[in-house]
Amino acid sequence: MQAAVSPGRGSARPVKAPRRSSPLVRAIGYLRNQRRSTIIALTALLIATIVQLLVPQLIQNMFIHIGEGYRADALLSIQPDFARQAALLLAGENVDNLVTTRNVASQLLVNSAVIVVVVAIFRGVFAFIQTYMAENTSQGLAFDFRNAIFTKISRLSFSYYDRNQTGQLMIRATSDVENLRLFIAQGLLGAVQAFLLLTLTLIILFVTNARLALVVVAILPLTFILFAVFGSLARPLFAEVQKRVSALNTILQENVAGIKVVRAFVREREESRRFYAAADGVYEQQLKLGRTFSVLFPTIFFIAQVGSILILGAASDPIMRGELTLGDYQSFSLYLTLLFIPLGQLGFIVSLLAQASASAERIFEILDAESDVKEKADAIELAEVAGDVTFRNVTFRYFNSGDAVLKNVSFSARAGQTIALLGSTGSGKTTVINLIPRFYDVSEGSITVDGHDIRDLTIDSLRGHIGIVLQETNLFSGTIRDNIAFGRPDASDEEVMEAAKAAAAHDFIMSFPEGYNTAVGERGSTLSGGQKQRIAIARALLLKPNILILDDSTSAVDFATESRIQKALDTLMKGRTSFVIAQRISTVRNADMIIVLDKGEVVATGTHEHLMEESAIYAEIFNSQLVGDAAPEKQEA
Amino acid sequence: MFMDGGRGLLDQETAKPKNLSDTFKRFAVYFHKYWFAVVMTFVLLFAGVWATVELPYVTEQAVDCYIVPNIQSCTYTTVPAEWTNPATAIEGEALGQRLAGVGTLTLVGVGLLVVNSVLVGIAFYTMRYAGQNVIRELQRALFHQIHRLSLGYYSRNEAGDIMSRVTNDIDTLQQTFGFALLQVLSSIISVVWIIIVMLQRNWQFALLSLSIVPVMLVTTFYFSSQARKAFRRARAEIGSVNANLQESIAGAREVQAFNREEETIAQFTTSNDANRAANVRAALYTSALSPVLEALGYVSLGIVVVVGGLGLLGQLPFIDKATLSIGLVIAFIQYSQRASQPIAQIALLWANVQSGIAGGERIFSLLDEKADVVDLPGAKVMPPIKGDISFEHVSAEYTPGEKVLNDVTFEAKAGQMIAFVGPTGAGKTTVINLIPRFYDVTEGAVKIDGIDVRSVTLDSLRRQIGIVLQDTYLFSTTVMENIRYGRLNATDEEVIAAARMVEAHPFIERLSEGYQTVLGERGGGLSQGQRQLIAIARVALMNPNILILDEATSSVDTRTERMIQAAFEKLLKGRTSFVIAHRLSTIRNADQVYLLKDGQIVEHGTHNELIAKQGAYYDLYMSQFKQQEEVTTVETVNAASLPALGD
Repeated sequence: MQAAVSPGRGSARPVKAPRRSSPLVRAIGYLRNQRRSTIIALTALLIATIVQLLVPQLIQNMFIHIGEGYRADALLSIQPDFARQAALLLAGENVDNLVTTRNVASQLLVNSAVIVVVVAIFRGVFAFIQTYMAENTSQGLAFDFRNAIFTKISRLSFSYYDRNQTGQLMIRATSDVENLRLFIAQGLLGAVQAFLLLTLTLIILFVTNARLALVVVAILPLTFILFAVFGSLARPLFAEVQKRVSALNTILQENVAGIKVVRAFVREREESRRFYAAADGVYEQQLKLGRTFSVLFPTIFFIAQVGSILILGAASDPIMRGELTLGDYQSFSLYLTLLFIPLGQLGFIVSLLAQASASAERIFEILDAESDVKEKADAIELAEVAGDVTFRNVTFRYFNSGDAVLKNVSFSARAGQTIALLGSTGSGKTTVINLIPRFYDVSEGSITVDGHDIRDLTIDSLRGHIGIVLQETNLFSGTIRDNIAFGRPDASDEEVMEAAKAAAAHDFIMSFPEGYNTAVGERGSTLSGGQKQRIAIARALLLKPNILILDDSTSAVDFATESRIQKALDTLMKGRTSFVIAQRISTVRNADMIIVLDKGEVVATGTHEHLMEESAIYAEIFNSQLVGDAAPEKQEA
Repeated sequence: MFMDGGRGLLDQETAKPKNLSDTFKRFAVYFHKYWFAVVMTFVLLFAGVWATVELPYVTEQAVDCYIVPNIQSCTYTTVPAEWTNPATAIEGEALGQRLAGVGTLTLVGVGLLVVNSVLVGIAFYTMRYAGQNVIRELQRALFHQIHRLSLGYYSRNEAGDIMSRVTNDIDTLQQTFGFALLQVLSSIISVVWIIIVMLQRNWQFALLSLSIVPVMLVTTFYFSSQARKAFRRARAEIGSVNANLQESIAGAREVQAFNREEETIAQFTTSNDANRAANVRAALYTSALSPVLEALGYVSLGIVVVVGGLGLLGQLPFIDKATLSIGLVIAFIQYSQRASQPIAQIALLWANVQSGIAGGERIFSLLDEKADVVDLPGAKVMPPIKGDISFEHVSAEYTPGEKVLNDVTFEAKAGQMIAFVGPTGAGKTTVINLIPRFYDVTEGAVKIDGIDVRSVTLDSLRRQIGIVLQDTYLFSTTVMENIRYGRLNATDEEVIAAARMVEAHPFIERLSEGYQTVLGERGGGLSQGQRQLIAIARVALMNPNILILDEATSSVDTRTERMIQAAFEKLLKGRTSFVIAHRLSTIRNADQVYLLKDGQIVEHGTHNELIAKQGAYYDLYMSQFKQQEEVTTVETVNAASLPALGD
């Protein structure tokens, strides 16, 4: 790396040294922006949980009333009369009191039932607020993350896109964010709720009856161990299923997308064999998972239920001794179900946690990525450009490593000149033009525009003066007009039309029923290659750039269209510093300077006449085209 | 079980099956082979449900026979009359007997739970076993169908669509057969059984206790259908967020080149915000579902206890006190709890089962799609091709009634190079697609060495034809394997030799890992020209008897193209080749040039003949030079090219 490199970029790596806190903790830190909804959710959670714990208590009360009433009723119902009187005497009761007791018990029972309904509604309302606000919080968090990711990737340099595939970046902005969101919405609050419920329930159980609580406590550690075993067994199995399914889908994908190739090479049988093997792999893994689950699920189900049965056995003695009421037993077994809910939740949360921390890591990988192309703090705004472009000993390596794609390239273009770049596939032509708008930064050497090192300029002002037509045309969904005005959304309709006319696009645009308002499908799929290309040219033309770059590939079009495009391009180049990668000899011949590249090096420069005499490679290239384009006789020669 | 309130289940694409009975019949055919596993599943489920339905009864008997003895309702054993007197203290031998009785019943209860767990566990596996086998058979059938379907199908349907249909539908089936169906079945069995048992035990008490069930059903279905509707809207929003994202990542270079970062970010934020709003709206319903169900569960608990309690005290006119006991009240509490859980599950999983059936429907419809290009009965093996190819009054159409080719007749002699030119949509690609029978003609015949291509097996025909397509498809594997696709048993040396031959070797060597470089999706990382070179090497390795190049060198520079042509001339000595190109350098060497327009041959002849004729080809050809002249005032151009044209 050389001295002129901006300080920000040069020091980018060492600065990273201090260790950041774990990605998940950082992600949770983003809750700052959702403070209000987080606090509401937590408050609602607290209220809802406490109210929930009241229910078994209320049911117990009802049983107490039933018990009292039942005893009174049983005594009153004893037949015959003398036996009843004996029993009443023995119990020290009289008929009037017992009738009152029975009636009061009935009244209290009804009252308690009403309270249960009220509490249920109360609990429902707060549980709803809790879930809804948690959802709100997590959606807000996901919103922030998606925006942050999008903003970041919009500004990353091209080398980032070379290293990362669209699909992978998409996954980070979608499923990774979703994983994180689920963890925040369910995992984090769920954990708080689970711990709260677990602790409070245990306390209540111990206060109610320590002996019975001990039975429960004996089951608890067993449950924890089982959940841990369950998690550690299931996770790798799931991961393996996922792996195998995606291997299967890859084969499927290749066979659908590449169906013509498969057929052309008669590979149906081999592909089927491959697919069957993969399908068998999925099948076996699914059954393996099934076997594990068929043991694990019932075990967990058993443990969750066995407690309430065992409690009956354990409670019968104290009940009969009169130390415990049936109501106590009933509330105990209701608390027991409340105890197993958080246990299940915690198992689920652990798996969410693992997923979310992996996702958080991947998300921060993007958010922490340093763009290779950075603007200096004191970058200059370049208001006017004449168009002198100079390459001085430029060497370029992708990712600053590996073989140099460009080696020591030097040339100088005067304002208004047309520069043609020539060379075989992979010789570095496209790299040269990618360096001018700083899609990449040079590894060594420098590039100047009107004498300014382009790294000293603001990126916006540099690119604002450059119009570029890339090799692979990419259009955006929207209308044709939107696409042409992509670089200057404020352009008037007249200007757009003028640009389209100059790009030989106006006629075909007008042939559509909707004209300039015709919608362009995703990636411009409703237009032919040649039409897309002409829209891309119009798009560049509208900028009225002083520097024009044409990575001219007219490969997609038939030759009548090609000649129209060519004509448009020639108009476009007049009076501008133009860099052209051309397959067509006529364009090259008219160039003010031709640069011949071979394996990343400039092997010859000069005008056509000069090169025809001086450069063997150029003459060879020229002849290969001339043979095709014009003179069949020369082939024999 | 669904701690997210079923959000995950509700946020799924659901579709209602259209033709239920037909789809069931189709599935039945597949499941027929595994009838034993299916029958086992049902038997085990019923037995398992029986065990859980018996559980509340065990608790009830423990209470009614021993804890609070009640002579009428204790059916398990005979209760001594003195146990029923609430005034007597429980002690001594009686206490021992009663504790032992409860102990025995507790063990019976544990035993029933064990039985239930084991049976349900096995049912889970038998169901999965049958399901996985059926899914695997469907996968194989689908894959087979993908290879059978005509290319016409692929041009009518987008590859991504076919893919997502196949993978998503199989995925849905996986969920349905692996989990949802079993849950729904066992839930339905449980609920129905429990309700029947409750009604049998005490129908008045049962009806009052169950009064909340219809409310539960209605709320669950209401909230889940509202949530699904809301999620459908949310999905549309997330779809636009994704489209936005996809487009901006794919078009990142343009966005930066045109300084459009700010605008794209603003646009994204807007759609992202709409997505958030839609999701929060959907959350309104999902967040309500489980609190409401839970609250109703508590209400039903209250109802059971209050009705049972008042009944026990003889305060309810319509319930006979004698038919009730404390044990029965406790049993009813358990029954109603056991009934309300499955109801929520059925509601949540029902849609999944529906989607599974609808997914099956789509899979079957794809399987039913007719394959039109297949080996005819009695098709022979194509003998080694010499290379005389004739089109006899050939017409072709992709959609019935729209002719893409109309009465095309021509003949190619062995060893000739035939070029097709013409504007986009003229039918050039269609012509060459007919030679390896990617499509069949609708009229006329295509013959190779006098044999109609429809009378031979597809395998034997296509194995002899090498084709490089307009849209190069590379697999996401190494460069080496991509080239080897042309001939699977080729050695590494042969692969490299083929790459050398077509001038692909120099750039491959300069890739980071050389021939072992793994190519990304659709050959990403390579330029269009480099991708074409690999595709050409693939065909060179195959060493075909007929070569077809459809714009195969359009992105390769002219010098490399010359070298490739020279190499093929050597390789294909005496064999026939077809070329579609717009570049004149490619066409000029052809023995015959056919100019197509609107599906018909307008002109043919050698390049020079056609130029001399000064017809359509001449006009097309000249258009390039005319406009070049306007720009080029250098006489040398005229000197170099125009006289040659005049020949």
